[in-house]
Amino acid sequence: MKEIYCDINLCMACRSCELACAVEHSKVKSLAGAVNETPRPKQRVHVLGMKGRPLPLSCRHCDDPACVKACMAGVMKKSPKTGTVESNPDKCVGCFMCVMVCPYGAITPVLEMKKVAKCNHCEDKEGEKACVSACPTGALFYGEPAEFEECLKKRKQVSAGKGA
Amino acid sequence: MKTHYLIIGNCAAGISAAETIRKRDKSNPVLIVSDETYPAYARCLTSYYLAGIVQEKDLWLKQENFYRENNIDAMLGTRVKSVAPKNSLVKTEDGQEIQYQKLLIATGGTPQFPEQIKESTKGVFGLRTINDVRRIQEHIKGAKTAVVAGGGLVGLKSAYGLRKRGLKVAVVVKSPQVLSQMIDQTAAELFQSRLRENGIEIMTGIDITGVKENGSVTGVMLDNGKSLDCQIIMVGKGVQPNTQILEGTEVKIDWGIPADEYLRTNVENIFAAGDVAQAYDIIKGEQVVNAIWPSAVEQGMTAGENMSGGKKKYDGSLNMNSIEFFDLPVISMGNFRAKGPEFDIVSDLHKEKYQYKKIVLKDNRLVGLVLVGDIRTAGLLCSILRNRADVSGIKDSLLDVDFNYSDVVGLKEIPKEYMTDKIYCGSGKEN
Repeated sequence: MKEIYCDINLCMACRSCELACAVEHSKVKSLAGAVNETPRPKQRVHVLGMKGRPLPLSCRHCDDPACVKACMAGVMKKSPKTGTVESNPDKCVGCFMCVMVCPYGAITPVLEMKKVAKCNHCEDKEGEKACVSACPTGALFYGEPAEFEECLKKRKQVSAGKGA
Repeated sequence: MKTHYLIIGNCAAGISAAETIRKRDKSNPVLIVSDETYPAYARCLTSYYLAGIVQEKDLWLKQENFYRENNIDAMLGTRVKSVAPKNSLVKTEDGQEIQYQKLLIATGGTPQFPEQIKESTKGVFGLRTINDVRRIQEHIKGAKTAVVAGGGLVGLKSAYGLRKRGLKVAVVVKSPQVLSQMIDQTAAELFQSRLRENGIEIMTGIDITGVKENGSVTGVMLDNGKSLDCQIIMVGKGVQPNTQILEGTEVKIDWGIPADEYLRTNVENIFAAGDVAQAYDIIKGEQVVNAIWPSAVEQGMTAGENMSGGKKKYDGSLNMNSIEFFDLPVISMGNFRAKGPEFDIVSDLHKEKYQYKKIVLKDNRLVGLVLVGDIRTAGLLCSILRNRADVSGIKDSLLDVDFNYSDVVGLKEIPKEYMTDKIYCGSGKEN
């Protein structure tokens, strides 16, 4: 299945992904408009510090998702077609059972709305993902695991070539 | 009547089992029997339904054609009378006999009513089913005040629901605090104060001694000599596993029905899952009923797999829960109330912000926690607790606001699939 991957050597913690994600999940879908929206649109990717290195983390769309099993309102569903764990905010009542069990801490409680926010792969829309498109260094990558490996291989060859 | 798989119960555990079985066995008949007439619905949502937060249409677990599409037979509105394990036979109250090869007991639980508050009195309700909510909604038309007996999860959810419906609500709690099964005294005080601010009266350390009625409820008498007027009493005094149909049979009954690591009862072809099952608890190390939705689903899936020829061990459940009232969320897990020199307890309280965190460690392993206000790290801590990870290296950061995945991922007990190398790679020098 297609996933969002990260080449952590290229991430500079600029947080462009966070911003793009929040804008993508705003009503107006523009930065200027999004900052004035109430409630503030929520980003679903968070750049964490990992051993002194930045690491952008969003929902990993687990094969056996704990959140789907924990959800009583039918909000969380794993799409058999795309593999995306889709959350349907309309059905969410804010019981936060999913927050309680997500092993990545990738589901954010939004108290003022009594809902949760998590990455839905830009609602599975065709084309690039907002965070990936916004990444200025190409650290973020969306595709099949084999495609990502291929991309990494090429990058390694290039950097090895440069080193020689 | 004959079936291969018989499932008694049509909620989280029963439905999860049926779905799992169907994924593995496309041909043998699956039959679900339930005393309720409704298709499967989320019982935990009934309090949200009472509060008017969700509609009845939001309660259904599956699409209308779920049973037909998955070739699952459902006998709804049929109550099971007894089980004869030796003959693999189930009798229903309407006189039918069902022969099974594999049986799953997923009968759930029933609210308990204390002796002094009779369920049969008009105006006395429990809160579990759609029918409960419908009857409550009908009854509260014109009602002004409500008394809730019990300050547990169901009690408070009932109180919240009735408050949202505009009633004046008093919760009478025998214990010195609300949610005594779920949070400690410190957390409870924050919670009580938030409920009071929002118009729910909380009376702790007081018991109801009797009900006043004139054909319908008019009030309650309290053990402090006072009384309260009310037109409805809602009872949240715990839930009892529905084990009645197995009484007097070979199937062992304790508080619930003890189920082994494969969720099998002591009888070879009978399994148990959900709120009726007494399954392995990770922290307590013994068989316990942990009546929460996530456990019911997992147990149903595991039982379903093993009923259909699998050999899947149940990971074990955890005493944990999550609720939120009036923008104050709380999550607790495991042995949050531990006391004694063998435990290492760290807590952080910000009363004015309604924030409280407490973790309980034993031999450098997390065994319990309470989070009030800021619950963002709950899932990570749950993973640490479940995997019995040694946290000696990160002990001091467990309560930090910015505690995150990167703190957890290096712990050696955390399963490989949660490791970064599967997801994040570097194109430059490896480190």
